[in-house]
Amino acid sequence: MATQIKMPRQGQSVEYCIITKLYVEEGSEVKEGDLLFAYETDKASFEYESEQDGTLLKWLFSEGDEVPVLETVCIIGELADDERGFEIHAGEKHGSPDPLQRGDIPLSRHKVGTSPLKGGSHPPGPSGPSPFKGGSGISPRARKMAEEMGIDISMIKGSGPGGRIIVRDLEGAEITEKAVTTTDDSMEYSDEPLTNIRKIIARSMYQSLQNSAQLTHHLGADARKLLEAREKIKEAKGQQDFVNITINDLVCFAVIKALADHPRINSQLHGETMRLFRHVNLGIAVDTDRGLMVPVIKSADSLSIEEFSKRTADLSEQCRSGAVDPDIIRPEAGSFTVSNLGNYGVEMFTPVINLPQTAILGVNAIVPRPADLGGGVYGFIPYIGLSLTYDHRALDGAEATRFLKQVAEEIKNIEIK
Amino acid sequence: MPKNQFIDPDKIRRKGEIIFQPLPVNQYDKSLSEERKNFSDDALVGIYRDMMLIREFESMLNLIKTTGEYRGIAYNHPGPAHLSIGQEAAAVGMAYNLDADDYIFGSHRSHGEILAKGLSAIHRSDDKSLEAIMRSYFNGSIYDVVAKNHEGSIKGLATKFLLYGTLAEIFARVTGFNKGLGGSMHAFFTPFGVYPNNAIVGGSGDISVGAALYKKVNRKKGIVVANIGDASMACGPVWEGISFATMDQFVELWEGDMKGGLPLIINIMNNHYGMGGQTSGETMGYGIAARIGAGVNRDQMHAERIDGMNPLAVIDAFNRKIKILEKKRGPVLLDTVTYRYSGHSPSDASSYRSKEEMEAWQKHDCIYNYRRDLIDNKITDEDSLRLIDAEVNDLVFETFKLATDDKISPRMDADKDPDIIGKVMFSDISVDAMEIGDPEVLIPLKDNPRVQQIARKERYAFDKEGKPYSKMKQYQLRDGIFEAVIDRFYKDPTLVAFGEENRDWGGAFAVYRGLTEALPYHRLFNSPISEGAIVGVAVGYAMSGGRVIPEIMYCDFLGRSGDEVFNQLPKWQAMSGNVLKMPVVLRVSVGSKYGAQHSQDWTSIVAHIPGLKVLFPATPYDAKGLMNAALQGTDPVVFFESQRIYDTGEQFHKGGVPQGYYEIPIGEPDIKRSGSDITVLSIGATLYRVVEAADILQERYNISTEIIDARSLVPFNYEPVLESVRKTGRIMITGDASERGSFMNDMARNITEMAFDYLDAPAVVVGSRNWITPAYELEDYFFPQPDWIIDAIHTSILPLEGHTVKNDFSNKTKIERAKRGI
Repeated sequence: MATQIKMPRQGQSVEYCIITKLYVEEGSEVKEGDLLFAYETDKASFEYESEQDGTLLKWLFSEGDEVPVLETVCIIGELADDERGFEIHAGEKHGSPDPLQRGDIPLSRHKVGTSPLKGGSHPPGPSGPSPFKGGSGISPRARKMAEEMGIDISMIKGSGPGGRIIVRDLEGAEITEKAVTTTDDSMEYSDEPLTNIRKIIARSMYQSLQNSAQLTHHLGADARKLLEAREKIKEAKGQQDFVNITINDLVCFAVIKALADHPRINSQLHGETMRLFRHVNLGIAVDTDRGLMVPVIKSADSLSIEEFSKRTADLSEQCRSGAVDPDIIRPEAGSFTVSNLGNYGVEMFTPVINLPQTAILGVNAIVPRPADLGGGVYGFIPYIGLSLTYDHRALDGAEATRFLKQVAEEIKNIEIK
Repeated sequence: MPKNQFIDPDKIRRKGEIIFQPLPVNQYDKSLSEERKNFSDDALVGIYRDMMLIREFESMLNLIKTTGEYRGIAYNHPGPAHLSIGQEAAAVGMAYNLDADDYIFGSHRSHGEILAKGLSAIHRSDDKSLEAIMRSYFNGSIYDVVAKNHEGSIKGLATKFLLYGTLAEIFARVTGFNKGLGGSMHAFFTPFGVYPNNAIVGGSGDISVGAALYKKVNRKKGIVVANIGDASMACGPVWEGISFATMDQFVELWEGDMKGGLPLIINIMNNHYGMGGQTSGETMGYGIAARIGAGVNRDQMHAERIDGMNPLAVIDAFNRKIKILEKKRGPVLLDTVTYRYSGHSPSDASSYRSKEEMEAWQKHDCIYNYRRDLIDNKITDEDSLRLIDAEVNDLVFETFKLATDDKISPRMDADKDPDIIGKVMFSDISVDAMEIGDPEVLIPLKDNPRVQQIARKERYAFDKEGKPYSKMKQYQLRDGIFEAVIDRFYKDPTLVAFGEENRDWGGAFAVYRGLTEALPYHRLFNSPISEGAIVGVAVGYAMSGGRVIPEIMYCDFLGRSGDEVFNQLPKWQAMSGNVLKMPVVLRVSVGSKYGAQHSQDWTSIVAHIPGLKVLFPATPYDAKGLMNAALQGTDPVVFFESQRIYDTGEQFHKGGVPQGYYEIPIGEPDIKRSGSDITVLSIGATLYRVVEAADILQERYNISTEIIDARSLVPFNYEPVLESVRKTGRIMITGDASERGSFMNDMARNITEMAFDYLDAPAVVVGSRNWITPAYELEDYFFPQPDWIIDAIHTSILPLEGHTVKNDFSNKTKIERAKRGI
């Protein structure tokens, strides 16, 4: 009995994936756990492991093909499997040159070029992927602009005649990857096209600063208890159930507590509407080789510090390996973000808000500061710098300051079992 | 419609009869000995020599075509050779009395006439002027070929020059008289008075009338002879030309020294066949072609049949007829009987005529009989004639060797310059007046009632508050054309204008109101309703050296002047190797409200023809500026006007239409309104519908339209349009021509090709429907309307939010209509 291997859906917003590599040739034996193919969305890459033993009978797509999710990628079965079934599937091979066969293909898959009156399918050019969602091609101008702006046209729904993608459809579209590096030793510089993630970051950071009213308050928090707690955790290393709770985890935990008292900070701004979240969906900035990523820990306020710490560590690892669920790295997934540059020794910075969120907390290095210890005694106390950037469209200074002050208080009084 | 000519019913209804005078048929009966009183012996021998030269020249071509060689030298001439072996006496007799100031026009079978006329002009010119002509023509490039190794007289050299220039032209050599661009059927050499020979049968029938008009109006020496075949008497343009040439007004209405007929001889070279069709007895009903003259005018065109087999009979007839022309009693019709031994062309097997007939005519051979007469009358002897024969043969052979030598006589180097032919299509020069002189006018310009009326008008359509002035108060499009035309009449003494209802009426659409008061008859007159001749006469007038504005009252009548507009007007500048100029501004009025045969926009058809400049202004400012530019040039311009907007004021050019002279460069489109979202390129009067559409697009859909008025179709500068498309990313082309095969489609194709990467949608064309122009009440279903423009944008370019279409521009409908041929 042949099995159709379908392209997994990697997050609700993903409709297409690109096959980056086929590991197995047609006719080869595969075993459960063998890698069948690698694929990627515009944000992350994945590998598909076989869930059964058998022979790879047929690839229905090739490397580089853009495959709608839940579409059959390949067929695994026994060599003796029913020829007819095989043929039917083979006829579905993407890009089949036989228009008559294409005519039989379900519309849900081949929206492109099914009607001869709608302008036909878009011929795949040297730079362009072929199928477009729901449309019948793209205008030359839109194609040119998309290439220049690095926009992935496969994600765009065309509003032109017959569903053609036209220029106005590119507004607000996302940026795609084009990785061609040209280097010429004779030149004084080399031009490297931005990577996919770089383009996303570039766009969202730029848009953030263009489209909101950001300002940053800086405040120091007494970090003595924080350091104590961290020491205590370290001491427990080697014990059973040991969780390596970091300073950042602790700060985040303090933030989560403070957010409970300041629901307006735990929010997003959508046009003229404030979206206040019942739970804290905390975004944590993670530095990866591919660039900055901000995975979101859903309902962080319902987690224990240990759970939170573990989850943070897992997500960070997923981000670094490129295997993260694209849905949880969308800015819309978070209600607040923490970005920690403390371990780099940064003493003060102005983090940029992950729109549509309304605020972000920058966590700085712990530095000793002179303090009045009481009774005319002065000494040095470790302080951790906190930099809160907030969107003044959504929040006022007093409100933001009260929240920041409370974060500082939570840190000052942090306790760990 | 002159008021001083009273159409008296008492006279008109009176009983009577038309009495024709007898037409002479072959009345010449002098013997050679009698003619010795009139000709020197040398002159009589010279006639023999000229006929022999023509015969040897034509025989050489015949041998090349039929055997592939001449006197042992092989040559392949793939082009045409319509030979006139047998017709030499008719050609030499016709030309004998003509000098370089007399013009001849011919047909596809005119080698003999070219040589005869050239030889006569050489004979009658002095050495100095011959040398000047030869040395200056194409910077002496033909002269250089023949002058090398020449020994003997200048006239002898000029004969070699004539033979070589003609043969090199036949062989398409750049050293030919027309740089090889004319060829066998169209070779000519104007300095000797040899004007274009025409490969369209009867083509010279109206063009020659224009040349005669030029001679008359500009008081030039000389007469004009149209050598056309007997079969061409069936052609419309010949009849129209004859009608034009015999108009009563020359005698009845033209005044002073202009009173009197045209100096024109329509000379039917009657060889009895039109290809294989026998004109007398089969394809025509005249019996004797001279009969045609009888019905044309009171003078019966002084028509006469003459014996073209005898050169002296032809000379005698031309002598008599030239005297008639000198008395201003032309035109004249001659039926010159002759016979060609060769077929229509070398591929003609003469299946339509009997051997007996050909042998009988050979017994009447003009050269054989004339030669015998010369000897019988002891004017010369056999030995002397043999010497002449040998000399003639050598002359032709030497010419043949030179003309077939690729080094001496190369072809145009189109490898080196692929545009070399393109460069002779237009003359692209700027000339105030075709001749220096005082233009004949009747009153000072400032006293002209129309000029005074226009002076009271508002030259910009809107007042300071932006409110439009009343139509009567506005300076209108027709005023713009008038100002440019009358200005040129006061600048260029050669300028004439004619067409239907041009005088008195002031043009059917009042463009010329005021011109009648300003100009004598010979500069502005009504033509017969002969659209072919209106254009053909203009072609002849212009190629002779004058500037002319013919008018076609409705664009729909262009079909009537098809050959003149498609084959004559556009081609002669290039076919002459850019020797001729063609300063013709053909005004064509595009109708409206008058249905299927009076409302069509045929700009696309005209734009298709290489060699015409095509303009279609839509505003008074553009109309005046473009008419000025058209009249300043020497290229043929078809100047389209729209009856829908003759009364439109200037709505775009801030500051209004300048009072003084200015030109708008031909070929430059104009941005009438800037915009950012879509470009609409409009041809002609559709501009105003585009403006309406643009207003709606802005108000309802917040779409900003850039409106470009093409103004010119040919030439056309695409740059401003491409620049606009690079900005807006979208373009529609619209105009009143039926969409299928239109120039709008041509523009769309070019723009798509040149701005492909900038287009957000295909270039979309909205033209008129591919069916008849209906009655005025139904015109909105034929011509593009504002809602069509918006619907087509919505359907094919940019869906408009909330828009519902009234008109179906879907592919489905387009395919369906194409299937049905509509």
